[in-house]
Amino acid sequence: MLAKTVKRFLLGKLLKQKKSKNGQAKPSYEEAILTRNLKDNLAYFKNVLGHSSDFIVREFNFGVGGNYKAALIFLDDLVNKEIINESIIRPLMYELNVSSPKGLRGQKSLDFLLKRMVSVGEVTKTARIDNLLNGCLYGETIFLMDGFAEALVFDTKGWQHRKVEVSDTEVVVRGPREGFIEAITVNISLIRRKIRHPDLVIERMQIGEKTHTLVAIAYIKSIASPGLVEEVKNRLRRIKTDAIMESGYIEQFIEDAPYSLFPTINSSEKPDVVAIKMLEGRVAILVDGTPMVLTVPMLFIEGFQTAEDYYFRPYYACFIRLLRLISFLIALLAPAVYVALTTYHQELIPTPLLFTIASAREGTPFPVAIEILLLGLFFEIIREAGVRLPRVIGGAISIVGVLVIGEEAVSAGLIGAPVVIIIALTALATFVVTSFFDVILLSRILLIFAAAALGGFGIGALLLLILIHLVSLRSFGAPYFAPLAPLSLSGLKDSFVRFPLWAIWNRPDHIGHENPQRQRFGQMPRAPQK
Amino acid sequence: MCCRRYIFLLFILLSIIIVTVGCWDRQEMDTMSIVLGVGIDQGEEDPNQVMVTTQIVKPGNIKRPTSSGGGGQEEPYCNFTNTAGTVFEAIRGFTHVVDRKLYFPHSELLIIGQEAAESGINKYLDFFFRDPEPRLTTWVVVAKGKAGDVLKTKAELEQFPAQNITQLIEARAATSEVSTVILHDIMCRLMSKTTAPIATLLEVKEKGEEKIAELVGTAVFKRDKMVGTLDKIETRGLNWVLSEVGSGIIIVSCPICNDENDKVSLEIIKAEGKIVPELKEGILEITVKIKEEGNLGSQMCSQDLTEPSHWAALEKKKAQKIQQEVKAALKKAQNLNADVFGFGDKAHKKYPSLWPEWEAQWDEIFPQLKVNILVETKLQKPGMITKTASPEWAGTDDAT
Repeated sequence: MLAKTVKRFLLGKLLKQKKSKNGQAKPSYEEAILTRNLKDNLAYFKNVLGHSSDFIVREFNFGVGGNYKAALIFLDDLVNKEIINESIIRPLMYELNVSSPKGLRGQKSLDFLLKRMVSVGEVTKTARIDNLLNGCLYGETIFLMDGFAEALVFDTKGWQHRKVEVSDTEVVVRGPREGFIEAITVNISLIRRKIRHPDLVIERMQIGEKTHTLVAIAYIKSIASPGLVEEVKNRLRRIKTDAIMESGYIEQFIEDAPYSLFPTINSSEKPDVVAIKMLEGRVAILVDGTPMVLTVPMLFIEGFQTAEDYYFRPYYACFIRLLRLISFLIALLAPAVYVALTTYHQELIPTPLLFTIASAREGTPFPVAIEILLLGLFFEIIREAGVRLPRVIGGAISIVGVLVIGEEAVSAGLIGAPVVIIIALTALATFVVTSFFDVILLSRILLIFAAAALGGFGIGALLLLILIHLVSLRSFGAPYFAPLAPLSLSGLKDSFVRFPLWAIWNRPDHIGHENPQRQRFGQMPRAPQK
Repeated sequence: MCCRRYIFLLFILLSIIIVTVGCWDRQEMDTMSIVLGVGIDQGEEDPNQVMVTTQIVKPGNIKRPTSSGGGGQEEPYCNFTNTAGTVFEAIRGFTHVVDRKLYFPHSELLIIGQEAAESGINKYLDFFFRDPEPRLTTWVVVAKGKAGDVLKTKAELEQFPAQNITQLIEARAATSEVSTVILHDIMCRLMSKTTAPIATLLEVKEKGEEKIAELVGTAVFKRDKMVGTLDKIETRGLNWVLSEVGSGIIIVSCPICNDENDKVSLEIIKAEGKIVPELKEGILEITVKIKEEGNLGSQMCSQDLTEPSHWAALEKKKAQKIQQEVKAALKKAQNLNADVFGFGDKAHKKYPSLWPEWEAQWDEIFPQLKVNILVETKLQKPGMITKTASPEWAGTDDAT
């Protein structure tokens, strides 16, 4: 019922907006096409883009006696001027005289220019103004010529972007360091370099009515199921919004369970991670302007997997996986269990430990639940302050944290020492399972409330609800809790343990079912046979 | 519509949680006092009243390993005494003296004064069986004298006297000369019509100015009234039969020297006792089978005991010793007419049809019951050395 009213509220607002939008007269570029008259065409572009100071129209004459009028249109800061000068203007103005004494006539002359004169890699020919505007806003240069109702679009993109650097959010010990950057073209090249196979398909589209953000979906044609690809495209097409600033925008518009605490779309900053997920049959969604690449469908178990697990040898990888599971449980449950034990089930605490806790509790003014919540809040404040602050001041935060909480709060008797230990342990454990950071934080608070209200029963009941929710979730058709529910024995090989790579010969169930086998069976390395 | 269904499900689940919760009690740790041990005596003025002594932790005075110096001045516990008509009333009455509610689950010790024990324990223990807080794994001890005095003894190593006694009981396996009984055992034995309850017997001894608690044997009950005691040897005799012997030392004289002062200590490694009721010519007989394995622990003379014939002689001596211990226990039990071994229950299981008749006359049958004791012993290892350190010197000594 609650969900319904929220939905109605959100939808209602949207509907209202739509109505007001329809009332406005907005200029439509979709139908317009070019005319044969250069002046008219230029006037049209100046009308649309001319208010901006970076809009440049370069008119010039060329050909024998300079009797061909033409113009280049581009946005000053988005183009590489060297290409325009050296590869477009120079050949047209200086070299055309020599190579073509006959002159340019007829409809084929544009093709002639395209084929013989201009030395730019990517050129397209179009008459549609919306395409031209789009290209222009993306750093391409429009070549208009008097007497032609078509224009050439040269790829002259030349904006600044960050270099490919070490990923900050996903640090690895072993494995490739590079991370995606903001420029989608670079990101696509990074994926292409990982998967050199013709089956790697990259489809582009633009989303965002104002931002026209370039969004690319990437998948392996022979592995990803066509239904999944179609579903992703459909969901992306349905997005009608002003702006796509980050892949998070896309995520919120296309996810399966928008009210759930749990994310149903995975995001990664590393090309190797995205590549291996695509090779398991997933579809990647790259968004221009952000290094975070989405992959769908997402399974719960992916929160516990990192690229490094596959690079290390299996024993250590298993250990790390189990460690992550334990950390997940600690991060989720430790404060709630502490509250439940110390306020309801003191008989469960071993006697010597009970004495220690009791002596630490002595004289502290707040109930345990309040203590835990306060200290947890305090920690989150410190963490958030540390994240947003410039690095230089960051050190001061930890001093305040350590001194004020660790030392003074305990020695002043405001908070018991075990609570500080519990919160510290919880905080550390939270950072082990980074992908579920937000989920853990929020459900932990709920669990503390449940423990404070009903003790162990409260924790059990809430955990059961969470579990029911988890097994009922789906992400792009894949059951979220697979391979645990529905159980898949071959899927368990890569779950809380990781078998050797030669033993995981199948792709995860429910994802790459077009082509379930990833490698030949029985490749265990063994001694050479005589 | 599915939304409504979920809410309905949620409602059902939540109501199940609330309805099925048994003991719902939220209690902060600083509003309760943790009871470590309980002592029960008869009232000082009126023996029909109960005097309950409880040992309670003072959390503020617990020594912490890191805290420098202070805090060690006061004891980390305190004892409170209250007298009332019943145990429960006395315990509730503590709220007049102590501002925090007593919390029993961590109490590991229940001490009953001898006078109270002789007057019958069921009336005191019923509360501990019935109430959910006290554990059935609580150790039950009978104190010679007042139970309250035991809680006032000095604990040398532990922080709390009650904990100290608990540790003593838990260390029983080293000698097997002490009976260890938890509340649950007493409950089971009380429910049986023939088997007599037992409890650890404890005595407060004066050592200089300090009072020290010491375990001295076993208290024997008939129905629920204490009727006598077993000393340490008799207690081990009882433990052989009950299969409760963990380890311990058996002292025998050297089979070669045959001198009472040349003692050999044999360590018990494992032991097993079995009670087999038999019917011989219509009369019930009991056979107790004891199997024991052990090592040579130490010897005082210098003979080479590892020689096979001597080794066998040692085993034989050990078996005799065990037999003596069991006989001592049996004799005491038959004198007290208290079936501490549980022979009656075994006979009941084996001959259910004859049992009703025996049960009615068990008080006449038990003192005359014929009990055969079969002991099978084994001596396994001589330890890190075989002969003693100076066999040659011993040899010359022997030759003269």
